[in-house]
Amino acid sequence: MKTSTSLGSLWDTWGITAILVLLLAVAPVLTPDFFSLDNAQSVLRESAYLGIVAAGMTFAIASGAFDLSVGGQLALCSVVSLIGFAAGGTALAIVAAVATGLACGLINASLITRLSVPPFVATLGTLFVFRGVSYILTQDGPKTLPYDQIGSPFVKIGGLNVAGVPVPFVIMLGVFAAAWLLLRRTATGRRVLAYGSSPEAAKFCGISPTRLRFFVFALVGVSVGIATLTYITRVWTADGSAQDGFELKVIAAVVLGGTSLKGGKATLIGTFSAVLLISVLNDMLVSEGVPSAYQRIVLGGVLIIALTIDGLRTRFAAPGSLRRAVSGLGVRTPQPGSVR
Amino acid sequence: MVDSSAPALLRVDGLTVEFPGVRALDGVHFDVAPGEVHALVGENGAGKSTLLKVLGGLHRPSSGTIHLADRLYRPRRPADATHAGIAVIYQEFNLYPDLTVAENVFSGREPYHPFHRGIRYAEMNRKAAALFATLGVSIDPTAPVSSLTVSEQQLVEIAKALSVDGRIIVMDEPTAALSADEVTRLLDVVRRLRAEGRSVIYVSHRLDEVFAVADRVTVLRDGRHVRTTDLSATSSDELVRLMVGRDVSSMFHRDDVAGGDVVLELDRVSAGRRLRDVSIVVRAGEIVGIGGVAGAGQPELSQVIFGAVAVKSGRMLLSGEPYRPKGPNDAMKAGIGFLHEDRKAAGILPDLSVRHNLTISVLDRVRGLLGRLLSPAAELGIFDTFRTRLAIRTTGPEQLIGQLSGGNQQKVLFGRALAPGGRLLVLNEPTRGVDIGAKVEIHHLINEITADGAGVVMISSDLPELLGISDRVYVLASGQIVGHLTGADRTEENVMLCATTGRRVFSAELVA
Repeated sequence: MKTSTSLGSLWDTWGITAILVLLLAVAPVLTPDFFSLDNAQSVLRESAYLGIVAAGMTFAIASGAFDLSVGGQLALCSVVSLIGFAAGGTALAIVAAVATGLACGLINASLITRLSVPPFVATLGTLFVFRGVSYILTQDGPKTLPYDQIGSPFVKIGGLNVAGVPVPFVIMLGVFAAAWLLLRRTATGRRVLAYGSSPEAAKFCGISPTRLRFFVFALVGVSVGIATLTYITRVWTADGSAQDGFELKVIAAVVLGGTSLKGGKATLIGTFSAVLLISVLNDMLVSEGVPSAYQRIVLGGVLIIALTIDGLRTRFAAPGSLRRAVSGLGVRTPQPGSVR
Repeated sequence: MVDSSAPALLRVDGLTVEFPGVRALDGVHFDVAPGEVHALVGENGAGKSTLLKVLGGLHRPSSGTIHLADRLYRPRRPADATHAGIAVIYQEFNLYPDLTVAENVFSGREPYHPFHRGIRYAEMNRKAAALFATLGVSIDPTAPVSSLTVSEQQLVEIAKALSVDGRIIVMDEPTAALSADEVTRLLDVVRRLRAEGRSVIYVSHRLDEVFAVADRVTVLRDGRHVRTTDLSATSSDELVRLMVGRDVSSMFHRDDVAGGDVVLELDRVSAGRRLRDVSIVVRAGEIVGIGGVAGAGQPELSQVIFGAVAVKSGRMLLSGEPYRPKGPNDAMKAGIGFLHEDRKAAGILPDLSVRHNLTISVLDRVRGLLGRLLSPAAELGIFDTFRTRLAIRTTGPEQLIGQLSGGNQQKVLFGRALAPGGRLLVLNEPTRGVDIGAKVEIHHLINEITADGAGVVMISSDLPELLGISDRVYVLASGQIVGHLTGADRTEENVMLCATTGRRVFSAELVA
């Protein structure tokens, strides 16, 4: 009993990391130039924006909620950031990206707390709204980084390396370090986990649901703002369609990492490894010339297999946990006997 | 009006129900005549609910027989009870909130069109309306159940029972959540059911209702049958004596503690949906018990002190200073600890470790050198302190709280309540669902806490516990203080008398 629980908790934190290490071990066999400097740098660079948002999303899911609007947020932050760059250079581009993300998060939190809209529904709505606004801002064509600005520090973020390590990946490492401290070493992080574990009990521990939701959704927004800096300086252009389906990829990474959908448990190490796993898989598939349609199928397959293994073990084993997970999605299930 | 020598419609003989470690019912006999309202009374844990669940097909007896109209009745599932014409209305309703009244009444038995098999809504609504007419009430059959009041939902349950032609309708504490007007209306409905020749088993804590509506009463105590009698041949005083009639176990020990300064004072506080003009005083070093039947407003009272329910009128004083908490956080900052009555749903944080469950109420105080960051060393210090002091049996600070026994979970939650400073503790059902050993330990602990100078407000539905370790007892009924018992007046009879009849008994001035 005792050993099985400690094995279980080891798996919760390190399971996906172990799979990542395994994959890295076989990668050079399947893809001979996998560990070439160019390829390794490219994998790390590409993982950054997904990873940074996934770090923020880990908090949302740990608190028992989703933020489905991150795809729309990324498009809007990118567009506004590009407008900011055109108007005021590097500083304004950075401020515009982060401030837009923060604003999006605050809008989400306001809808959820002030109007009592379930997070799932509120952020599904704002996903469309944020994308819609991005389309309006790019009616005259996508916003782009001009080639004559290639020397600007902002434009360099995406391509620069520090001692061989891509700057986007360095930013991602910094974000994960800060997120880990926030989750494990601050009162606020602890309260996020407490609220996700039992909102009712959390109330009697002096945790304000309103403040908590504002914190969580603002945090997701800021993480999208930071991710935008690494994203837009890689792709150079954005309009309302940027990164369609991004939100589901982010949630897939967090869940693949081992963070429980029903809230209360979170692992940033797992999220980090899952993000790298997705990037490595994608890279291998691309190098093998597998069409991108198949890449999506592989990601979906990996997610289903991982959750099946986990679900068989614990996640949905406890009675009522599935219903809790469903109600976390904002779906009402008929529950005889609880009419009051 | 009812000839109790008439052949019984329902007859229960030697019914015994055993759960692991507990004998919930022990050789109970009981019978119900056609057209009779038979009341079932007893303290919490006397076995009333178990008996109802056996009748409703939820529990199987270990031994004993039940006969329904002289035929053996052995329900194996709730549907068996329905087919036999026994409709049990539990305290927790079985209704679908998003479906309409008529859909709920005819759930699973909807009238279908003979050809295209669609549900005949018009017919269903008409039938439902007719049922409500026989009950003498008007409820819109097309309204969603979630839009109804609690008393209307109860009537939907009754209509459901009538729609399957229930011969015996069993009601478990039907008036617990009703207002005075609604109670009157419900009692009228019960009389109508009797007039139609149906039998009603009426379970209630409120003796005034029992006398108002029932023909006979059966008293249960500790799972045993005590007496069945015509209500015309007894009195509420006698019933209370029969319900209680047991020696208060010597396991309850209360140290002599001299009351100190007033810690908490409530001055005509009204709050929530129930609490009205409540005035109480709690002194340092004192255990003040709050008694009353379920639904009298105990959780509201405890939560208003902890800042989780807002004061509507009146005022609270903490050590003589005005106390206006905006939320539990303010209460904890003032050194008040709280224990919720529902440990599982609103106490433990199931995914968190013992250490994290303990320190969640004092995160502001486990900051390390950097000022903002939590210090694991300080947290472990708090864990060690309470593990020793409360004798928490755990494999270590990182064990998940859900893996502990109920008693040890409760001790962790005690630690959480004590950590903010131990000035005042508000304890809801401190020993509910813990075994006897842990119960004694927890009582000992409460004694210790008061010896250290804390004031304790203890709400308990366990009468022997309430009287065994409280210095004074306030009794709540329908959200009001109807009794204040001190010294030799602290008897189970007095508590039950105040709680069930609303008769006022005060040993001392309300606000000293």
